[in-house]
Amino acid sequence: MKFGNLLIAGITTGSIYAMFAVCVSVWYRVSNILNLAVGDFAMVGALGVDNLYRVKGLPLPVAVVTTLVVVAVFAYVYDQVVLRIAQDGRRPIEGIVVTFFFTFALSFFIDGAAKVLFGTDVHAAPTLWSGPALTLGSLNFERAGLLVLACAIIIGGAFWLYIRFTLGGKALEASGENSTGARIVGIDTRQYRRLIFVGTAVIAAVFGIVESPITGFTYLSGATISLTGFLAAAYGGFRKPGRALVAGLFIGVLEAMLGGYVSTQYGDTVLYAILAAAILAWPRALGFESAVSG
Amino acid sequence: MNQFLAASSRAFQWSSAVASSRAARRAPRGGIPTVIVLVAGAIIVLNYGLLYTGSVFVLSACYAIVTAGMAVQIGFSQQIAFSQSVFFGVGAYGVAMLNTHYNISVLPAGVIMVVAAGLVALLLGSVVTRASGLALAVATLMLPLIAVGYVSGTGFLGGPVGAPLNGTLWPGSGSTTLIALGGGLIVVVLLAAVVFIASRILSSDIGLELFVLGVDERTAASLGVRTPRRKLELFVLGCVCAALGGVAYAGTQQFVPETVIDPTTELALLIMLFIGGRRSVIGAVIGALVIQYLQGASNWVSVNILIVEGLLLTVVLLVDPEGLSGIVATGIAWLRGKSALAVAGAELAAAGTPAGTADAGREAPDELAGLPLSSVGPAGALADGTLGISAVGISAVGDGRQAEGTAGARDTALLEVRGVFKEYGGLSVLHDVSLALPGRGLFALCGPNGAGKTTLLNVIGVSVAPSSGEIVFAGADITRRAPHERFYLGISRTFQAVHLIKGRTVLDNVAVACLASHTASIVTRIGRSRLDAARAKAARTLADLDMAHLADREVSSLTLEMQRMVELARALAPGPRLLLLDEPASGLSEEQRQRLATLLATLAERTCVLLVEHDLALVAQVSERIFVLSGGHLVFDGGPADFRASPVVNSLLVGS
Repeated sequence: MKFGNLLIAGITTGSIYAMFAVCVSVWYRVSNILNLAVGDFAMVGALGVDNLYRVKGLPLPVAVVTTLVVVAVFAYVYDQVVLRIAQDGRRPIEGIVVTFFFTFALSFFIDGAAKVLFGTDVHAAPTLWSGPALTLGSLNFERAGLLVLACAIIIGGAFWLYIRFTLGGKALEASGENSTGARIVGIDTRQYRRLIFVGTAVIAAVFGIVESPITGFTYLSGATISLTGFLAAAYGGFRKPGRALVAGLFIGVLEAMLGGYVSTQYGDTVLYAILAAAILAWPRALGFESAVSG
Repeated sequence: MNQFLAASSRAFQWSSAVASSRAARRAPRGGIPTVIVLVAGAIIVLNYGLLYTGSVFVLSACYAIVTAGMAVQIGFSQQIAFSQSVFFGVGAYGVAMLNTHYNISVLPAGVIMVVAAGLVALLLGSVVTRASGLALAVATLMLPLIAVGYVSGTGFLGGPVGAPLNGTLWPGSGSTTLIALGGGLIVVVLLAAVVFIASRILSSDIGLELFVLGVDERTAASLGVRTPRRKLELFVLGCVCAALGGVAYAGTQQFVPETVIDPTTELALLIMLFIGGRRSVIGAVIGALVIQYLQGASNWVSVNILIVEGLLLTVVLLVDPEGLSGIVATGIAWLRGKSALAVAGAELAAAGTPAGTADAGREAPDELAGLPLSSVGPAGALADGTLGISAVGISAVGDGRQAEGTAGARDTALLEVRGVFKEYGGLSVLHDVSLALPGRGLFALCGPNGAGKTTLLNVIGVSVAPSSGEIVFAGADITRRAPHERFYLGISRTFQAVHLIKGRTVLDNVAVACLASHTASIVTRIGRSRLDAARAKAARTLADLDMAHLADREVSSLTLEMQRMVELARALAPGPRLLLLDEPASGLSEEQRQRLATLLATLAERTCVLLVEHDLALVAQVSERIFVLSGGHLVFDGGPADFRASPVVNSLLVGS
């Protein structure tokens, strides 16, 4: 039953990748900016809850809510100050500078601030659902992993319902298809850029909180999470959240299988080599061609 | 005749302006930054070489060697490849291994490793540079991830502990002072050499090619830029600079930690590049210095370096996306602003009002307006009378290639489209289209929206491969030729939506098509640039089209008509044998259309022009033969008289 357990582990990590990938690609659709700080919001969520609960002694629900509010306010202020100057001014900044480097700088800033606030040790938010692993035959289900899956399904489903069935979701889709066109028919794309940025930051923080008991976080963990989200989003063509979700799950399962069957030490190396080869072999099918022109 | 005199006097003023600016610029290209780096570097190393200031300077110079290459590859040409940290590691680890395991001293080991890195980059690059844009970025992002997994797993390279060196960059033996200062000076010389080469590439004709490549790869290819080769050259250049930086690092630090090939090194290098100014070689050097000195500026800064770097990058990019060098350049331009304005005003007064040109341009349509539409008829008649002047001008544009093409070209077909089918998925866009065009004349392609007009133009001009059928140009099968090859065979085109290179002048936009550098490699242009020759040729074309006064304008400041004219000038400048124009009249006023019509008629005297156009009056007025596409089928092929009378055409294009 090695395969079954690897599959469960793979789907668990894959669902984490998938959620971050969805966060990256949904926001890229409206803003044409890749959020390389998405993992840093997750790290702040985990370490913030840990700090407020364990060090400051606040009750757990208060700690969680406080952390999420702080993340949301910070994301809002960042959009209002930096992104507004960068994109909404008389001379909007275009190209790779705005696509990569503002969120890249943001990621550095958050990491630095987290180092000051939370120190450099490995910490994790407390497990929200503790107890021994659940077993079904010879399959083991870690409770933390199940919680991650449940969050992924609930948040992912809510997101899908929002995009599919609400006017806001339609406007969002329109902004993603053609930003200028959306603006002409009266959709405030800036408002959606802000809304989705704050929303994805909070979602990332929630995932940081539920994920951290599995892996443990330091102030530098954000970059790795952003990287996996970015990669999975890339294989979804950056603009297609649905495909990003599938890509995230696939990468998670592939990683678990390579680690289990090929080599624990070089599993990741092989994974990255496979991913690189896939881009070079099928750039069009993976959606890179359309992303390039954007 | 007045118009001709006006045009030629403007052309003369322009060429004399070129000559005087050439005389004024005595320093060789790339000389000033190189000398600054060399002199300032030597002074710092000799004075502070043994102190903290000097050692930080040498370390930043090692990184600056890498970032100067990145300025060419990533900043200027926008080929984002995350391969620097890996090749930095190849250089550094390679020297360490050759030095400790095989007892080769550092300098020859460094030469071996740089050559080896170049060869590896050539192999790797020929695979990864097939990708473009974000695909290239993501594919190369895997390189540091793979490398870090490999290095931490293998004991041969010292694993997480790192690899020490026995020797230093300074080849001789001697006192510690001599070795430290000598090693530092070698790094300064290497940096100066990289700055020199990078600056000369960017200021050469290939620099202009690279700029266009960075803005839009497809446009670049349609203008004759050999994009696969340039991308490979850029990749190799970036990797070789990175390996050289790694060699310098290993030779001066005498220790290679595992972190050099980490993605964090890649990120640190990118921060240096973008803070300094991504498109500027000297900016990249400044960025490396700023970041390295910042870390030791104070205790608080070194503890909170992430916050400081994050804030600094955000603020600098918000103030100017071109980084510190952009801020400095803007500052200098602002200081010079007033004096420059005064000079420009004086020149304008001397050259006569620019409004005079606009008036001259308007004369022709006024004369035309008096003629009934039908009598304007096919091309030739017009050119003899009203616009003979421009015809003289245009013929001067053509070069040798064109001359050979037009000799007796009336009889044999220049372009043959034979039984072309094109399908996208299951959708048939072109169905058995065949047509033949002679060496000169004006031909039009009409049809309702979605008829396949632009697809046919792409199949002829931009290597969209047809599903079946073939394209023969001047006797050669070009069905599967690359776009830049078609350009050099003499096929030029304009685009339905204007594809000009923003941020460059009109002159440079036209000069791009005059470069003739497709066989040259990046390194050959370090010695001698052909940019002035290309600009001179572009200036002649602009003068012939009465556009010399626009030469120094930035293209996005022009009106749509002028932008279309610049695009037309760009298509004409190389002296094409076949000119493909995709809706050149769209968005133009009636008066502007008439001006365009007279110009097209003149062009058709020398060249074969194929026009895609919706304006049926214009089409019937200027073309000698008209093709009508509908649903991918060629449904009409005949002269303007038949075109007007044809029931098929009327029901398709007029009735609807």
